[in-house]
Amino acid sequence: MAATPSSSSDVKVADTKTLLVDLHVSYIQKLGENKDELMYHLTTHLRLNAVYWGFTALSIMGRPDALDRDEMVEFVMSCWDDEAVIMSLQQPSGVFAGDCWGEIDTRFLYCAVNALSLLGRLDELDREKTVGYLKRCRNFDGGFGSVVGAESHAGQVFVCVAALAILDRLDVIDVDTLGWWLCERQLPNGGLNGRPEKLEDVCYSFWVLSALSILGKVPWIDAGKLESFILSAQDPEGGGIADRPGDMVDVFHTHFGIAGLSILGYPGLVDLDPVYCMPANVVEKKGLRKGWKALERRS
Amino acid sequence: MPLPDPDGVPLFAERPEWADVLPLEQYEDVNPIAPIFYTEEYKAATNYFRAIVKAGEKSPRVMELTESVIRQNPAHYSAWQYRYETLTFLLASTTSDSTPKGALPPLLAAELTLMDELAVQFLKTYQVWHHRRLLVSLTKQPSRELALIKRSLEVDSKNYHTWSYRQWLLSSFYGADENGREQDDDDEGETIEAREVWEAELDFVDTMLAQDVRNNSAWHHRFFVVFHSGGTEHEAEKERIFKRELVYAKQSISLAPSNPSAWNYLRGILTHTRTPFATLETFVKPYTVAQKSAGDAEKRDIVDLDNPPPSAEAELPCVQALEFLADIFETQGASEPGKENTEKAVELWKSLANQYDTIRKKYWEYRIREAHHGKEPRT
Ligand SMILES: [Zn+2]
Repeated sequence: MAATPSSSSDVKVADTKTLLVDLHVSYIQKLGENKDELMYHLTTHLRLNAVYWGFTALSIMGRPDALDRDEMVEFVMSCWDDEAVIMSLQQPSGVFAGDCWGEIDTRFLYCAVNALSLLGRLDELDREKTVGYLKRCRNFDGGFGSVVGAESHAGQVFVCVAALAILDRLDVIDVDTLGWWLCERQLPNGGLNGRPEKLEDVCYSFWVLSALSILGKVPWIDAGKLESFILSAQDPEGGGIADRPGDMVDVFHTHFGIAGLSILGYPGLVDLDPVYCMPANVVEKKGLRKGWKALERRS
Repeated sequence: MPLPDPDGVPLFAERPEWADVLPLEQYEDVNPIAPIFYTEEYKAATNYFRAIVKAGEKSPRVMELTESVIRQNPAHYSAWQYRYETLTFLLASTTSDSTPKGALPPLLAAELTLMDELAVQFLKTYQVWHHRRLLVSLTKQPSRELALIKRSLEVDSKNYHTWSYRQWLLSSFYGADENGREQDDDDEGETIEAREVWEAELDFVDTMLAQDVRNNSAWHHRFFVVFHSGGTEHEAEKERIFKRELVYAKQSISLAPSNPSAWNYLRGILTHTRTPFATLETFVKPYTVAQKSAGDAEKRDIVDLDNPPPSAEAELPCVQALEFLADIFETQGASEPGKENTEKAVELWKSLANQYDTIRKKYWEYRIREAHHGKEPRT
């Protein structure tokens, strides 16, 4: 794997009050080499995700060249399935299945809407049916669940809100109730949880923040405390970010921690589009930017 | 990470009944960012699995092979998928008259028994629950499932998959359609069964909340049971249910005042029935002031179902009550010429911003600005 020279060669004890960009870059680069650290990713189907998480995190840190482009393209293309067609996965209820096995979830609905939009093929989607399903997943607390009748969960709130944003149907959302529910996720230590009475976790920095920024409500939470919480979950020796301080790091939480910091306006980071969870300039170039609002980038 | 088989069963390569299969190595030409390393036993089993899939074999030994793969890696997506395909194939080809009427085919019964074990063991794996979902669509025996879910919630009372599987079961087998009417109106027997199931479900939620009144999943399920399904068209019955739920929510708040789930539920039932928040002003007020030690204790002996007081050890004032009362004042203030109540709401928001809920300071300041700019009140 092509390595970009790291500027942290003169190793000093890093603190966790700032984002350790060089360390995170080399942590992600090493994922392809250092096999032991990846025991966490037990399943083959997570590999494609790992490429996405690693590459997006690098892009947000302004280091998209840190991984070998051709190698990534080759790997992604090796996952190509000639027979799979997105539209064939939509169910009569409007939700999408993950594959031909038939598991349904609003996550899959979001993936389908996201992909169709990037491909410029949203016109093939039955929007009413799709939005209708999302409406039925809406709960009394303003949030959304994985299927009709399921409990509100910040991860599912992100997928439903982002899908509605892509479909230009944010009118379906009770913004006051959901906005409050989302900012109620912040705990006294600054971290965010995914449901009431659950533990804080760095990845919710993205699930909650992305939904808040699509609704234009990021300022409702204590950004400073959340930022400190994310930074404190960094590994100051090996790089990477964990779900919470002191735990083992992984590429998933590294990516979503950095994504959260970008939405919070952390200095030096590249803007992240919360609807697609991709660098904002990529989405803008395709003319797909929606009306989300992150905090202003500090210098 | 996959664990070696504790029973010491020989690898597939050493067993004669697998000698005809040439194991297929995983294609590893590219160097992905996240290569995955497994034990030898796991690699061997998945190599056989790939060979079986390639050959399209659907025989009883495939059930054994996929079980081995799944036990080592319960998230192995295609092993679950192929197992289900094989199972349905075997069921279709072995249908015989020997199975007594009403009983499950032995193969299906065995699969359910195995799944009962794996469901508890691999509670957090999506695939386990999806597989059950497919099986119960074959067996059409949801009551057995409800009992299993109950057991698995004893192990993990907030497991998201377990709860949503329960909600799916209830709405698929005993459910109401989107208009709130039960699906099997013509079938008297099933309607009665459904009614009994929904009633039992409410008892079940009571038990779960009695164990942990802060379990948000159980509160959510309560709303699902009471309002989404098996609902009623009769106004008098609706009124009775609303009163019952109101008492329940208030009692729960009185037990543990700073429980966001109970307050969200209370807001949920008021909004659902279009009941003004102001009707709860008397109930809410004692929760918005610091605990008085002396005289209040005696008042607690009087049982007031409409206005149960906070427990003696409660930490007061509680954030959710302050917020609730501020909402009441905001609404009242909006229709007054002098806006006195708006100012009362602002005072409460200031106390939240500066003292009781400082982490959401910006949110409370936003509420103050909105009220001053004459935004429509929210309740
Ligand atoms: Zn996490």
